[in-house]
Amino acid sequence: MDTNDTALLEQPQDEEETPIDLTAGREIMEQIPQSPNQRRYLVPTLQKIQNAYRYLPDPVIELLKAKLRITRAEIFGVISFYPPFMLTEPGKYIIKLCYGTACFVKGAEIIANKIKEKYQIGPGDTDKTKLYTLQFASCLGNCGAALMALIGDDTYGTIDPEQTLDLLGKYKLEEDEPPVETEEIKAE
Amino acid sequence: MSTIVKNTINFKINGKDVSAPEGTVILEVANQQGFEVSNLCYNRKLKPFAACRTCMVETVTDGKKELVYSCTQPVAEGMEVRINTDETNRYNKACLEMLLVEHPLDCPICDKSGVCPLQDNTDTLQLYNGRFEINRRNEPSIKTNPIIEFYLNRCIMCGLCVRACDETQGVQALDYHKRGMSVTIGTANDEPLDCEFCGQCITVCPTGALMDMTSGARGLAALFTNTLTTCNYCSWGCTIELQSKKGKVLRIEGDEGYDVGINEGNLCAKGRFGHGIIHNEDRIKSPLMNYGGDFKEVSWEEAIQTITERLQSTVNRSGPGSIAGIGSEKMTNEESFLFQKLFRGHFDSNQITNLANLRAPYVNRFMLDCFKGGIESKPVTELQHADVVLIFNSDLPSEYPVGGNSIRKGVVFTGTDIIIANPRDVIFNNEAQVDIRLTFTHGADLAVINRLTRIIIDNKLIDINKAKSGIANYDDLVQSLKSYTAEDSEKMTGLPDKTLTHAAERFAREADRFIIIGNDILDTGQGEEILKALLNLSLLVHWGGQGSISIYPPREHCNSQGVNDMGVTPDFLPGYQPAQDPAAENLVDDLFGNCVNGKLKILYIAGEDPLHSYYKASLVKEALQNVPFLVVQDVFMTETAKMADIILPTSTFAEKDGTQTNMTRHVQRVKSATLPQGLSKPDFDIFCDIAETLGKPFEHDTVEEVQEEIESIAPIYKGMMPGTDSKQWPASSFVEKPEFQICQTFVESDEKEGYPYRLQTNNHMFHIGSYTQHAKALVDVGPECFAEIHPEDAEALSLQEGDRIVVESENAKVEVTVKTSYVTTRGMVYIPQNWVDVPVNLLRNGEEGLVPIKVSKAG
Repeated sequence: MDTNDTALLEQPQDEEETPIDLTAGREIMEQIPQSPNQRRYLVPTLQKIQNAYRYLPDPVIELLKAKLRITRAEIFGVISFYPPFMLTEPGKYIIKLCYGTACFVKGAEIIANKIKEKYQIGPGDTDKTKLYTLQFASCLGNCGAALMALIGDDTYGTIDPEQTLDLLGKYKLEEDEPPVETEEIKAE
Repeated sequence: MSTIVKNTINFKINGKDVSAPEGTVILEVANQQGFEVSNLCYNRKLKPFAACRTCMVETVTDGKKELVYSCTQPVAEGMEVRINTDETNRYNKACLEMLLVEHPLDCPICDKSGVCPLQDNTDTLQLYNGRFEINRRNEPSIKTNPIIEFYLNRCIMCGLCVRACDETQGVQALDYHKRGMSVTIGTANDEPLDCEFCGQCITVCPTGALMDMTSGARGLAALFTNTLTTCNYCSWGCTIELQSKKGKVLRIEGDEGYDVGINEGNLCAKGRFGHGIIHNEDRIKSPLMNYGGDFKEVSWEEAIQTITERLQSTVNRSGPGSIAGIGSEKMTNEESFLFQKLFRGHFDSNQITNLANLRAPYVNRFMLDCFKGGIESKPVTELQHADVVLIFNSDLPSEYPVGGNSIRKGVVFTGTDIIIANPRDVIFNNEAQVDIRLTFTHGADLAVINRLTRIIIDNKLIDINKAKSGIANYDDLVQSLKSYTAEDSEKMTGLPDKTLTHAAERFAREADRFIIIGNDILDTGQGEEILKALLNLSLLVHWGGQGSISIYPPREHCNSQGVNDMGVTPDFLPGYQPAQDPAAENLVDDLFGNCVNGKLKILYIAGEDPLHSYYKASLVKEALQNVPFLVVQDVFMTETAKMADIILPTSTFAEKDGTQTNMTRHVQRVKSATLPQGLSKPDFDIFCDIAETLGKPFEHDTVEEVQEEIESIAPIYKGMMPGTDSKQWPASSFVEKPEFQICQTFVESDEKEGYPYRLQTNNHMFHIGSYTQHAKALVDVGPECFAEIHPEDAEALSLQEGDRIVVESENAKVEVTVKTSYVTTRGMVYIPQNWVDVPVNLLRNGEEGLVPIKVSKAG
């Protein structure tokens, strides 16, 4: 299974109604120091943009292109290399499902299939309601607590694959506060 | 060579003693020595990369054996290299085998078949039965742009196209996307390719994953007939390979072989995709005679007969002073030679010129002044070994794209530093450590150079005493630079003096320096002064500094240099020997004026379109209307041809033999790849026919004989013919005493009430002259004329990209689509000059300096 797919090939959705507010993007551009070798700021700046917008909006990439004097092909080359970079707006919660060896053996694929069945999303996709974006992680680094996943800012360990949908069901689009009992890894 | 001397390393390859400069990789030396090393991703023009892992060799240094990749391993003293050992073959084979798992092996329909390194290596390593199961990709080919097809199933991820696009061309339109198993080559987000369309990626691609769609022919490179000739467009003089099949030229490729031409296989969009002019329906098919506005086809005999009778009777009646000829900057040297011979020998008329010389006769003088002062300028093949290059008022990617390639190679391999002085903020992406941009106020060229010269003198960046004793009028120069103080120059040029000082320091330091001058300087109205200033700067560092300097006169077309070398100018006979009587009145100095006032009775235009390309558009029109008899020979029905009394159809470069001389004086061969199309004839044959009909045939009437004649008459061409080895003609015979040419003081161009903008125009990236408008591929990528302005100017005028605007000077107005770009600076409007429907020259209409214009929304 290939875990490197990003949202690259996804068709950009028609979202003409809300133009992107470029203020944050412009601020980020101004933070880039003047230097003869500016391209080295590419990855950190992309991260800043993604932190500000949750993804990399095309108009901001255009600003970056003009600022760093590099081409679209190069910027997209870098973006597509790093799966966390997203070109379309993700759902409210990003599911980072661990696909490391331990998690895979414990049934990460079962979780993926269940998510696919319920939300019609594969790795890199966002569901229609914009609640979830699914990403596969190569390894979240806590194999002792396999199966691991991150949902938004919450970390889950030793997930029972059969409980997947219950777990995901707790997250709602409208809710302002995330569900309560989610701060710590639930060790059995 | 660069002033930095590299050590020579001595070592052995398969027992043979060889040596190479320090830092050379093993594979490069092996290739030069004729050893065959399997490899797929190496190209000597690019940085070592080691993607394919098939070039492993064994090295033994001090008894220690190592297996290394020869494309990245530099040679070392005493090293013994062994190629094709059993062990290396095993490794190399394994890597190749894995590539063949995916590679489609559709060789019979592949463009690269027969010249494919993958085929060759498979054969060399005798890899006939792979061990792995075949697992082919099956992706559709991508044809989202009109020129380059991506068939990625054949791609082996060697990265040559990505690297050529980046390192050679500085465009970076291609990159790797994704990673690991799913890595692909492509454009950003699979958007249609939008680039300079140089096609370098096609040349370097080893497998036919990238293909030229313009030819309409596919497959088997090996079955094409290849003819090496010289490109017919700009004055850089690239060697191109015309690939023809069944007598038709179908495509053009670069030849990356050693010692082929001056361009190492690099080509630009025009050179590579401009073959559409050869087999073209629009060409003039037979001689035409003008019967009261209607052109009727006539036979060659009739046409030539009419021309000769008219010439003879006019000369008999009104004297040799009543005829004049305009030679072409695109004809071969041999043809130009015969053209001047016809006028001088048969009619005793010295009234011949070429359009560049007519407008700027000082360019030839500038070249000769350089020689006189001892600046002979190196062959342009040395450009890639330069330490510093000053690119003066030239938008390299449009004007001399392949020059840009050489400079970028120098940046990577020699460490060339770059100084770009241009009124536009031109794009020239490169990796130079020092890349100084002097984006000066439009029209302030002269002030920039003179300030640089003054800084060199003031700051004693060179040995002042040496310069002083070397050049007699040194004090005059110092005197003439008085007004270029730091403060005033800042005001004139708009550049901080710190930047200018930085540039001057870099330029004056010990170095092999090159100056490339753009044709844009002619449009400033101070072309002559600018060239003088550049000469002074060059003389100063040549006589007072360490290292060398090479400076080339600006030339526009493929044989703009050769046409002057051959004496198609009133001032010089072939080889720049002074024409007999410089004092005699020569009507050609004001050629069009003398057509208007009736002094000239016959004008013979051989392959030029002054109505479109000359800067005095309405004068030309009046002249052509008034001159009693106008002969035009050309390939296409140009605006000028439409006004002719007789039109003679000539052949394109692909149908003729001879030589051309590029702007850096390399005499290079032009070789025919197909027969003259229709009833057209090479200009050479036409001139011979005229001479014969006059009853005085040329004593030499084959190309070879004329070449011998040129060699004997013009000593600088001795040994240059037949131009197969791209030699540069020597300038040593012109060396005399150096002398500064004191130039007039810089004057800012006047503001004109109501015309707040200034026009900037030159050749578009995909077009030069007007022939390229007939090449389908080039029209596909550069279809429409535009006016480029700075985004802030656009905002001030409330213009959006794509709006139609009217650009108006005092003389004329044109309507054109607007484009915004930060390249064009504020207050400037840039319009390329290559579209007949946007006659930019009408805006200028004789104006010598910058053309004041105003811009308004159309409609």
